[in-house]
Amino acid sequence: MNEDYLWDKSGQPDPQIQELEQILAPLRYQPKSLKLPVVRRRNYWPLAIAATVLIALLVTGVWLRSRTEKPQQQQEAKFVPSVVTEETPTPVVVKNTKLRRKPFHKPRSNKRVFTKHEREEALAAKEQVLLALRLTSEKLRLAQRRTQGPPPNQIKNQHKSDKRS
Amino acid sequence: MKLLFHKLRLPLIAGLLVVTAAFAVQAQDPKIQTGSLDHLAAKASQTVDVNVDGRLMKMAAKLLSDKDVEEKEIKELVAGIKGIYVRRFEFEADGQYSAADVESIRSQLRGPSWSRMVNVTSKKDGGLEVYLSFLGEQVNGLAVLATDDREFTVVNIVGPIDLEKLNKLEGQFGVPELGIESTKAKPKNDK
Repeated sequence: MNEDYLWDKSGQPDPQIQELEQILAPLRYQPKSLKLPVVRRRNYWPLAIAATVLIALLVTGVWLRSRTEKPQQQQEAKFVPSVVTEETPTPVVVKNTKLRRKPFHKPRSNKRVFTKHEREEALAAKEQVLLALRLTSEKLRLAQRRTQGPPPNQIKNQHKSDKRS
Repeated sequence: MKLLFHKLRLPLIAGLLVVTAAFAVQAQDPKIQTGSLDHLAAKASQTVDVNVDGRLMKMAAKLLSDKDVEEKEIKELVAGIKGIYVRRFEFEADGQYSAADVESIRSQLRGPSWSRMVNVTSKKDGGLEVYLSFLGEQVNGLAVLATDDREFTVVNIVGPIDLEKLNKLEGQFGVPELGIESTKAKPKNDK
């Protein structure tokens, strides 16, 4: 057997070696160019920007809501008696509960609805509502007197007739 | 860049629509911001400050009796009202508030939903303006702006209000008279 054939394929080959070569021929190295698998990259930009816009909207909504509700946190009405002497020029804050003339009768059914704290809160709110309505009513009547015109509902209709014309 | 804009077109349009809708809703809210008047409290000799939001309105309405005629009337009046806000300042001297203070309120009342119903101005009695806010044909807000040499009042009612019923309230419901007109008789030469 010529061993040079095994080394550099020179000389006379051995038949068994040739047979083995034929059997293993399909597995022989085939030179070809490298092909990397194509991976499709997803574009996350639209998703990211949409999420940013959504977050911005949420923050804007929360900010607008807090801006609207901030002045509502004051729940105590301040009222100062109309007679103010020169010695006390600073405003005095008096709770509206002192402004009532008529004692308040709490409905029986409300005992089950409100806790003590809620009831106090509701009472204060009621006093504020009465005070505000009273003040509004006086201003409207004053406006009516000064204009020497029709009552407010007619004023409202006047607005509608103005729109029509 | 063009491709990016193309891909972002839908989210951007949706976002813009939502923002526009949010601002439109905010603009139609007949609630007036009166925070700019806070500094007047220190100068005022008398202050009325009422802040009743929707939650408190409901609580207050529950305390109004259905059996008492007067309270029943006021209960019907406040039904549906989402808030009542009053800022009233009375001063011992003239010129304690500025035109900017008035403008801070008046500018809010120039919105599309507001209509000025009454505007009375006189040197003696000051200015009195009544505004109504409309949502379609329905009244959804009321504002009164009363200014005098020594008085500055802003009333804001948010929600539907029956003006005829409101007008009948004077002298009722156990609330003492505030003597609005009497304040105008004060001498003006104190400065």
